[in-house]
Amino acid sequence: MTPFLSRHRAIVLAYLGMLVLLFLTSFFSPGFLSVNHLRTMAVLAAFVGIVALGQTFVIIGGGIDLSVPWVLNCAAILMTLVANGQDQPLIYAVPLILAAGAAVGAINGAGIALFGVPPIIMTLAVNVILQGGILVYTGGTPPATAPALIQFLAVGRVGPVPVVALLWLTLALAASLLLSKTPFGRRLYAVGTSAVVAEFSGVPIVQTTMLAYTLSGFTAALAGMLLTGFTAQAYLGMGDPYLFTSIAAVAIGGASILGGSGHYVGTIAGAFVLTILTGLLPALRLSNGALLIVYGVVILITVSLASEAFSDLAAAIRGALRRAEPQKGET
Amino acid sequence: MTEVGWAKRSVPTRRDQPAVPRRVSRLRFAHSTFLVDRAPFLVACLMLAVLVAIYGALRDGVFTLEELNLDAAASMALLLAATGQTIVLLRGGIDLSIGGMISLGTVIAATEFGDSWTTALPWGIAIPVIGLLVGMTNGLLISLLRLQPFLVTLATWSILSGAALLILPTDGGTLPQGWMAFGNASLVGLSTSVWILLVLFLFWLWFSKTRLGVTIRATGSNEKSAFLSGVSITFVNVATYGLSGFFAALAALYLTTQTGSGSPTIGKDYILPSVAAAVIGGISLFGGRGGLAGTVIGAFILTIIGNLVFVLSVSSYWQPIVSGVILLVAVLASSLAERSARRSVT
Repeated sequence: MTPFLSRHRAIVLAYLGMLVLLFLTSFFSPGFLSVNHLRTMAVLAAFVGIVALGQTFVIIGGGIDLSVPWVLNCAAILMTLVANGQDQPLIYAVPLILAAGAAVGAINGAGIALFGVPPIIMTLAVNVILQGGILVYTGGTPPATAPALIQFLAVGRVGPVPVVALLWLTLALAASLLLSKTPFGRRLYAVGTSAVVAEFSGVPIVQTTMLAYTLSGFTAALAGMLLTGFTAQAYLGMGDPYLFTSIAAVAIGGASILGGSGHYVGTIAGAFVLTILTGLLPALRLSNGALLIVYGVVILITVSLASEAFSDLAAAIRGALRRAEPQKGET
Repeated sequence: MTEVGWAKRSVPTRRDQPAVPRRVSRLRFAHSTFLVDRAPFLVACLMLAVLVAIYGALRDGVFTLEELNLDAAASMALLLAATGQTIVLLRGGIDLSIGGMISLGTVIAATEFGDSWTTALPWGIAIPVIGLLVGMTNGLLISLLRLQPFLVTLATWSILSGAALLILPTDGGTLPQGWMAFGNASLVGLSTSVWILLVLFLFWLWFSKTRLGVTIRATGSNEKSAFLSGVSITFVNVATYGLSGFFAALAALYLTTQTGSGSPTIGKDYILPSVAAAVIGGISLFGGRGGLAGTVIGAFILTIIGNLVFVLSVSSYWQPIVSGVILLVAVLASSLAERSARRSVT
């Protein structure tokens, strides 16, 4: 194996999995590979991919963000409330809501990095507080429809390419550069690999962790607003599916949930794999419940592939094979 | 060994020190260690007393047996789920899959119980057994795959919720009238829920002294030395998560006596509160410290907050906000205490 392939084995595998899945699904449902359907898939994958962008950063840093669903949902509802179907208020609403999402992420990061609260508890508690907060604010009734501009961003096209896919591409490039070419990216891998070693090596752990969670809050808020455009209105609970999909996309994309490895390039393949699976299940007459089971199994399989137990097993098998070979020669 | 992620990261600093002896040497009297160890629990008791006092001032008839029956009924599903979570937290883990298990339990009950005791009874026994087996699978996966508990239980949470949705796509189903009557019956003035509470206390008095109970606590406070003392970590994990699944299934059964139907999505509302009840009651998120009494206090605090929200006639959506904030404060306090304990030793 060339050095490139062995270094990025997990990511290459994710893309191979995506291609195999595409190939297989085109058998089950003809028309799966038509331009129209591919375009729809790119749009759906973009939403997963954008939420999973922040999640990728958080997971590489050794954490997890379970506050994604209601950050997304709050952003969607606030945007429709403030805009009230008009385009003009978006000029200030969009930046403000993105900033608010980032601020929630920063609070997550501060609790985790400054005060040592376990990430699951911190983000789960923030998730519940946001859920309660938006329910109190709206009184439980969903607000108005999405403004035209947001709808254009979510479902519109520039030539043959969906706008949201272009947006995703831009974000993906930025995220990849951030991970590979900036000090922040290198520090994030260091923190995720070993916080103790990183601290002794002079990595500013608090800033790095906080920035990762801030990004996650930002992308969840962005995805929330875009998703409103896609469904034409915001509704309560719209963020719930994105908890599992964002984590699963990162895991499929080859990042170790234990932190320190992975790349957004892999998450993109993960987002596509999940979107193809989601599209495949109705064709196989499988329901939402089956989808959740598939997500769970996928998370379980991908994380066990990355675990120590699996690499020990692989090493044991390799060792056994090596021992078996000379014996064959002797007899 | 690459030890990363929150569950493991908190470990080395605490485990490398002989925590107890040094703390004792810093304090002059034996009874002050007693107080220091139980400080979070005592704070929780104080908080409950204050909340009950406020509640009593706002509403008549708070200090009656009837109110106790009502509050016990309101907190019992949460308390059963939190009992399982307490055992897992004492072992130093976390169980997110109870969200799926509770949903699954209610939908199985709502679809299979039928009308007669001949069908209800076998399924009433089968559901806790299913919970036990599912939980044991969690423990086995955590040990065999050497994965963090939250990852495995996150995945099984998804799988179990999916299974619940397959069995019953929307809220509904029916339960026998007798079943609901049993859940809301009363004996010598005390409701079923108060009796369950008493049984839970007796269970805990027995369980915390058993070999398994002591082993779970020992493993939670120091996995390495527990292992070196001959404890099978795999066995502890299987037993711990098995019990958690078992109690989640009991919570589901109790829940059906209150709601009279099954819901494939209700379980997720119990994940955070179950952790919150335990942590507010003084169970350490880092394993080994606390007991069921704390969890009971924690669950009652959450229930009284719900009552207060109702009495003050503000939106009921305030309840999760207040509980979430209290949880965060409790966790912040405990991790800061953890940190200062570490600092004072070094």
